Parts: sequence; structure tokens; C-alpha cells
Amino acid sequence: MDSKRRSFLKSAAMAAAGSMVVSDAALSLPVVQADDGLPDGDNITWNKAPCRFCGTGCHVQVGVEDGRVIAIAGDKAAEVNKGLLCVKGYHVGGVLYGKDRLTEPLRREGDKFVPIPWDEAIDIVAQRIMKAPEKFAFYGSGQWTIPEGYAAQKFMKGGLSNNHIDPNARLCMASAVTGFLATYGVDEPAGCYDDLDKCDVLITWGNNPAEMHPVLFSRVTDRRSKGEKVRIIDIGTRRTRTTDAANDYLEMKPHGDVAISLGIMQQLIANDNYDKDFVSKHCAFRAWPDSGPSLHGDAISEQEFRKRIAKYTPEHVEELSGLPADKIRMLAALFADRELRITSLWCMGMNQHTMGTAVNSLVHGVHLLSGHFGRPGDAPTSLTGQPSACGTVREVGTLSHALPGGRLVEKPDHREQCETFWNVPAGRIKAQPGYHTVKMFEQFVTPAADGGDIETLLVQVTNPGQSLPNLNKLFNKKDGLEDKYLIVSDVYPTATTRLADLILPAAMWVEKNGVFGNSERRTQQWFKMVDPPGQARDDCWMTIAIAHRLFELGHEGMKDKDGEFIFAVKDDDGKPVPVWEFEHYYDVNVDKHLFEEYRQFTTMKHKNLAPYDEYVKARGLRWPVVEQDDGSWRETRFRFSGFDDPFVAEGKEIDFYHSTSNDGRAQIWVHEYQPPPEVPDSEYPMWLCTGRVLEHWHTGSMTRRLPPLNRAMPTAYVEMHAQDARDRNIRQGETVVIESRRGETQLPVWIDGRGRPPQGTLFVPFFDESKLINDVTLEDFDPLSKQPDYKKCAARVRKLGEVAS
Amino acid sequence: MNGDLPVPTDSPDSPNRFTRLVTVVSAIVMAIAVIGLVVGISDGVPQPELESESQPPGDMSVEISGHESGKPQQSDPANPKLIDAVSYAEIPDTVMGPTPAFQAALVSLPPQPEYDLFSEVKLDPAAKLASGRVRSERRAFNGAPPIIPHAADNTSDSACYSCHAQGVQFAGLRASVMSHQYLANCVQCHAPPPPAPFATLDWSVQTDFVGLPAPQAGERAFPGAPPTIPHSQWMRENCQACHGGPNGWAGMQTTHPWRTNCTQCHAPSAALDQAIPDHEVPMLPPLEIATK
Repeated sequence: MDSKRRSFLKSAAMAAAGSMVVSDAALSLPVVQADDGLPDGDNITWNKAPCRFCGTGCHVQVGVEDGRVIAIAGDKAAEVNKGLLCVKGYHVGGVLYGKDRLTEPLRREGDKFVPIPWDEAIDIVAQRIMKAPEKFAFYGSGQWTIPEGYAAQKFMKGGLSNNHIDPNARLCMASAVTGFLATYGVDEPAGCYDDLDKCDVLITWGNNPAEMHPVLFSRVTDRRSKGEKVRIIDIGTRRTRTTDAANDYLEMKPHGDVAISLGIMQQLIANDNYDKDFVSKHCAFRAWPDSGPSLHGDAISEQEFRKRIAKYTPEHVEELSGLPADKIRMLAALFADRELRITSLWCMGMNQHTMGTAVNSLVHGVHLLSGHFGRPGDAPTSLTGQPSACGTVREVGTLSHALPGGRLVEKPDHREQCETFWNVPAGRIKAQPGYHTVKMFEQFVTPAADGGDIETLLVQVTNPGQSLPNLNKLFNKKDGLEDKYLIVSDVYPTATTRLADLILPAAMWVEKNGVFGNSERRTQQWFKMVDPPGQARDDCWMTIAIAHRLFELGHEGMKDKDGEFIFAVKDDDGKPVPVWEFEHYYDVNVDKHLFEEYRQFTTMKHKNLAPYDEYVKARGLRWPVVEQDDGSWRETRFRFSGFDDPFVAEGKEIDFYHSTSNDGRAQIWVHEYQPPPEVPDSEYPMWLCTGRVLEHWHTGSMTRRLPPLNRAMPTAYVEMHAQDARDRNIRQGETVVIESRRGETQLPVWIDGRGRPPQGTLFVPFFDESKLINDVTLEDFDPLSKQPDYKKCAARVRKLGEVAS
Repeated sequence: MNGDLPVPTDSPDSPNRFTRLVTVVSAIVMAIAVIGLVVGISDGVPQPELESESQPPGDMSVEISGHESGKPQQSDPANPKLIDAVSYAEIPDTVMGPTPAFQAALVSLPPQPEYDLFSEVKLDPAAKLASGRVRSERRAFNGAPPIIPHAADNTSDSACYSCHAQGVQFAGLRASVMSHQYLANCVQCHAPPPPAPFATLDWSVQTDFVGLPAPQAGERAFPGAPPTIPHSQWMRENCQACHGGPNGWAGMQTTHPWRTNCTQCHAPSAALDQAIPDHEVPMLPPLEIATK
């Protein structure tokens, strides 16, 4: 391009930039800055990456020029999103460039933070761990890349012999995991997004994919635009944008999903129109023993199942769930129709639930009992909220009780396998599960003198100071505890860094190499495209650098059986590379080394992964990925289905080859309905439900730094019914106090807003760090998954200035 | 809703005056057409003098004709906006549509010249710059879906589609034409303004993000050659949306709107369209030519 045209372009862009100043602030996006170095698009290069946000796993094309991300496009070659994105995905490039990026390590001195060099920061962490390795805990997330999570896992369990590692995914999909394990003996959905292209009926169980997984939802509604018939049935506790697109809205009381799924099964049995062939060939029955909840329960006979389910008649379910009996019958009739293809979707509604494991397994049970399983379009599918909740947390097993590849710390043979893979001495891995999230934070904010035995906590890629339930109990109490040390690696100041003693500036997304695993078993790889700002560095490097500092300090756990550093990496010539020195970290592809090591773990549960280089070429591959005779690698779309899954025994239509009853059968559970742990009463008369909105992702630390998104949703709010507002003399937009037995927060009221709760229900999104609804929520959790219930507790609304009673 | 109309603000003597006239005229034409579409004159059916017994009572063209069918809609001439309530039983026979006062307003509009497809289009760089400015204010970078610049209480697809399917210009406002195929859940990609109760909140953000600017022009192989398409065609399949028709962007319109097969002459970019996986253009090996 000639220089004349270039300068014209620049002047035009400058003119556009200048216009920001004079035009209406409510309309213009201050995205173009009138400084030097405006991009002109001449030297833009495009490369693939999965989106940084939710678990859908859309691929984006990232446009980079002069070392900066300047544009994003939907990736047309990606099967997940076929070139489309959502409003968050289109603006994901901007998350790197908030003005307040953390760019240097910061150590707390009183009320202030002082910058320190990286060496000192790493040394502080290593010294704290060295002093008391068993009192150290590592808290991560489903935003860890697979290599990051794998490194953290190996560092903790294979290095420090410490199982106190847990991710925020515990707050997000732990109940989905236990639901899958209890039902199929192995985690993660059998179906995939292709089901959305084939289903005749889509049931959303307490789920709002129109906002939370919009690319998946519009994949279904776009089919309608093209003339196909898809019936969308929304089962929920409030009206949402998903309801707007639904054919049927079935409003239930909180915990009604348990009763509804029981009711559908009762009807299938009572009307004798369940799929007898499918059930007799592929299913067995289970229930919890009298002694209480257990993951795998006891086998029961079909007769016993019939007996226990019999009382959940439509009329009884109506009483429990608030859903009219004829609607239960309608749902049961749909499931009885084998001509239809039915896909169920759920996410936090069923997972953040004190009966989370139970309701997950019940919905699987509805599909199994009716035979709506294993054909394209017939699938019970749980969605995840984080980009690698499946890849990193569920598959790498960064949970306090798990080891990579679906292994468990309590199983001696699993520990032994891991010790062999890691080449560490026998007995290195401890058998006792570590603390799950809620317990970990309880122990951390309890003074050591009172038994709080976690003294140093390292947090990576998550924001527990905002996302934990009942913050006053689980997080805020850290303030002022001198003997507790909080280390936070993050990209921006957050509600968590507020109480940090040491802040580590992190690289994010395309500032580093990475691998994610999405909701449909798809493993996705990307390369570093731009440098992180200032001194910000990769989380994986931090873990390795801390480990190496411990190695230098003489910690035995940082050595393998041969006395070598556990994260030793050699280059192609066999020369060791000091990857713990950041200037050498990218001399080799550390991600590839860790990924290839991790691959060995994946075959036990038939979650086989392809070599790293195959993922470089693909827009993700769905495991199990199996090598073919011609040397190519084939992904699997429909697990357990004979026509697609290479591990199904020859000639079988369906084979649950990880069956807990060891006979190829999946378990159909029956559970007794239990009421929620806290229900509204005269003192706290309202239900409080929390959740998310389309424009903001989780705690908003990224999306609230994007102008188009912050403009669209500048504040959290409380949705309430007009009559509830009228009764309390509350006006639209008025700021009120939402309070529970645990705490309070102030929020503006939105009546007839985007969501419309029924009378007696409040809804508050949790993205806003200035209005922390988790000061109000309840930390009660599912007995098996340990996942807290953010979706229901008792609360009340008080007008500002009104004295608290 | 200010900022909606990309009218350039140069002097009245500028050559842009003509463009503006065309804009104003076409605005009125389109307004008539859109209203006509709603009330049923756009399909060529309405003939005011026609007897309308055969028409269903709900057909709005009846009202356009001034012919009364069913109950009179309005009984208080002092208040033209007031519509009499009717009982449920009367609903099927009642005309529900634009009030006579509204329809009378249509009559008072000046006579409209036809939109002339073949009238000469003079390209105006100032208008182009102004249009580009408005466009860039609504995008974080070129290729980002524009934000919704106006209040949007109803974010249902049909609400968006009613104006943005064909585009509308009316009363100083311009609704742009959808440049892509019909896709469900518009607000999935197009961020709305703040919810009305929070409209006054400061949503400003401190960011260093610098987005890709819009290209100014395609490349020409030689002077007079048709320029290439300088942007991705993905989500911009409908060239007319921006470059032609009465609702395109001022200064960006084609000089030859009657030609409809744009890519016959204007080459798209395989790289921008993500159509080729790598940078090498695959070619057959060169022929082996004997030198002896």
C-alpha cells in the first residue's frame, strides 16, 4: 500500500477517534484512541483460538497487528459456532487491554501494595510452602488451561504430597460430574452439539441458554427460522429470554425439578410406555442405601424401583413442584413417544442444588427409561460455564479427591499408576482427599488457633472473593488474619486481590499458549499471539518456577525417583531447558511437553486424546480420539453408541462400558424428594435466585472492562415482580437492600426486566463486584458433589433508610 | 436517538446537496412504502375507489379508501388519538389500525417522486467520512457487530426485523438494513443500550484497546479497474445493505445500483473470508520445457 493511502487511512481513523470526544457519550464507543500507532489493518495476521469465556467453546479468529489484538471474527471453520459468536465473544480481544491490567508483582505492606521483582515473589511463595507444605492449598479454576491444571495437579499431589487442590468448578459443575458418574460410571456427556441440529424437542431444565450459551441456543432457533419444527420447553423458576423463544413455559417452585423428573418416570411406568427394550438391555436400577447418600448407591430391583417411584403421581408432583399435573402428563407423553428426538440441556439450575447429584441422575434416568438416548438428537446434556471446566477440571482431575484421567486419590491402583507415570517414589501421593472448595476456604479464614489448618492459599485464574457463596463466612473473614497468607494470580484487581498479601500479574488467553476442553468433550489448542503487558507471566510458568525454587531449597517432593526436577524439560536435541527462567520459558513449547505427558493418563477411562500436533491442525477434536489404520485421528461424536464410538463392543447398539455394575448397563436412579435447605418464612419471605446475564461473564472482571458490554449492562440489579414492588412501595430503579440471615447488599430494582420472576421471587446476577450478592447467598451444598446451592435461599427486601428489623 | 442519521454537515452549496435531496426524498418514499406495507398497499392491491365488500373487515386498505366497514373507529374529533373501546363481541368487526388522523397525515405529505435507480450518483468523500464516523462509533473494531444505538425495550427478533429487514428512513431517523442473512436472537451479537432504569449510569470504561479501523477503499489493479472488496464478506453478504438502495450509507453507495451481481467485478478476499487455510496459493507445478 502506498504511503499516501496509508496516511489517508490514518487520518480517517484519527478523525473517527476525534469524533468520540464531541459525540454523545451514550452512543459512541471509546475504542479508537487518538494516539500514535493506530492500526491500519495492512499487516494483520489471523490465527485461531477458542473463546476465553464460557464452556461452549466457540472458535474465534484473532486479528493481530504490531503485537496487539485489534479484531476478532467468528471462525467459519469451527463446527461449534460455524462463524457465529455472541456479544462477549466478538469483544473478547478487548479483555487484554483494560487500563488497570496488573503488570508487576505486588506485595502488601499495610494498606498498600509495593512492586517487587518476580524472583522475590516466587521466593516468598516457595518459602511459605517450604515452612509448612501441608498447610498450603492451591485454588484454581475451569479457566486453567489443560497444561496449567496438569502442572498444578502434579505439583500438588505428585510433588508436595498435598491434596488440597480444588477449582472454582466445584461451584459450577461438580454435581454434573457426580450425576454422570452415578449413572454411567464415567464423567461427561455422551452426546454433543450435533444433537441440537437433530432434536425435535429441546427441554431446558432451569437453564437460560439464550443468554448463557447463546451460540448453542440460536443454533436451535435458527433451525426454526429455516422452517424446521423444534419444540422448546422451558422448565424454570422465572421467565427469561429462553422463555421468550420457548413453545412451553413450565414454571416450577425451587427444587421442583426433582419432583418433575420423578413424575415423568412415574408416568412412564404407570402408563407402561417406557422403552422396555432399551431398559431390559442397557439399564439397571439404583437408590441410596438407608445409611444415606452415596455416589454409587445400592442396586435395586425393577420391582423396588416401581414401588418407590409410584407415589410421585402427577398430583403429588404438582404439590411438590407447583407444576400442574397435566403438564407432567404432557412431558411424560413426549418422552413416551420414541419417534421424537429429545435433548435436555441444563447448567447451573440443576448443578447448584443441594440435591444436585440426585436431580442430575434423575434427568439421565428419564432419558434412559424412555430410551431417548444414544441417537443423534436424543441426549441428556449438561453444559459448562467455563472454557475448560471439562478439559482441565474433569479430565485432568484438579479436584481434591481426583487424579488425572478419571482416577481417584483413594484408590491404591490409581495412585500407583500416577506415581509410575510421574516417575515419583511409591507412596508420594496421599490417599486422603484434600479439602473441597467450601471446606478449603473455611479452613483458610479460620484462625490457626481455632483449627484453621490452611495457612497459605494460592489462587490462580479465578475470583473467589466474589464467587464464593456466603462471602462473610468463607472469604471476608480473612481480613486482618495475620497468620493467613493469600497469594492471588490475576490479570486485573478484583474482589479477591482486595485481601491478597501477594499479587502475581498473569498473562491471559492469547498472551500464552493454551489448551481448553469444552462442554462436548472437544479439546482445543491455541498458540501465543501477543506478549503480556509489563511483567505479567503465564500461570503455568509460575507453578513451575515455584516448584523449581522449592527444588533449590531442597524440597524432596520436587525430585522424581532419579533425583531430577519433576518439571524438567528437554529440547529436541535432548538439552535441558531452564523453563523456570521466564526468558527461557518459550524456548520450547512447554504446553506440548505437559500435554504429551498428560495424554498417557487419558486411556484408562477411554477419553483418549490425540497428539498435540493434531490439535494444532484442528478446530478442536472430541474425545475419544482414536488413530485410524491410515494414521489419521478420528474423533467421537456419540459416546456409547455403536455406530460411532470405537470402544463399543462389536455388534452392540449401545454399550455403557464403564458401567458401575460391570455389565454394560447404565443406572436409573430413584431419589426421594427433599425440600430446599432454607425456605422463605415470615422473617425472610422471598426466594432469592442468583445467576448470570448475556453481557457479562461470571464475576465480570473481564467483561466489565469492555465498553459495548458495560454499556449494555452497567450494573447488577434485583429483578422483582411488580406486585411485590407495589406491596413494598418500591419504584423502578430504586436502590433497595437485599438481606438474608448471612448478609446484605444494595441493588437497584428492575421490574419487568429482562427476566420476570414470579411473585415472591428475587433474582440477582453476580457479575458486579460493587454489589456482591454472594454476601447474601447460602453455602449449603450437595452431600456428594460438595457444590453449593446459589439458586435458592430465603431473603427479604428493605427500602433504603428503613431500619432493619 | 440522536446520532442516528449520518447527514453530513457541510455547506448548502456543496455538491452534497443533491445527495441530501435524494436522501430526503427517498426517506419519504420509503416511509410511505413501509407504512404501505403495514396497511396493505404495497402489494398493488389497494385501489381507493374500489368497492370493498369482498375484503375482510380487518383489511387496512379499507380505511385508506375512507370506506367505512364495521364500526367507526373514532368518535371524538377533538382528540384524534382517542380510540373508542369496543366490547369483545365487536372486536371481529372492528377495524383496528391507523387512526383516521394518522392516515390524514399521510395525505398531507408532499407528492413523492419515484426512486430512480438510474439517476446519477455522485460520490461524496465528506459524506463517506461522516458515514464512516457514525459506523465506527458503534463498533469496537471493523467487523464487530454494531451495538444498538437506540432504546430497545423489545429485543425480540420480530421487533428488530420490522425496521432492519428492509431499512427505514422517517422523521430524521434511519434504520440500517441487515447486511447478513436472517439470524435468530439479534441481541446475542448486538449489544443493546443500558436497561431503561439504569440509563443514566456512567458505563464508561478505561481501556487501551485499539480496534481495526474500517477500510476506506478496495484496491484497483489499474485506474478505472473495479476495486476489490476490502472487507470480509462474512456477515456482509448483502452488498445493498450498505452500498446501494435508498437505505445504504451516504457516500458509500454504488454508482451503478442497477447491477446486481457485485462479485462479477469486485473480487472478494479469500484471506479475509477465511476461505484458505494458509498463505500459499496452491498452483500446479510449472511445465517442464525442454531447452534442447
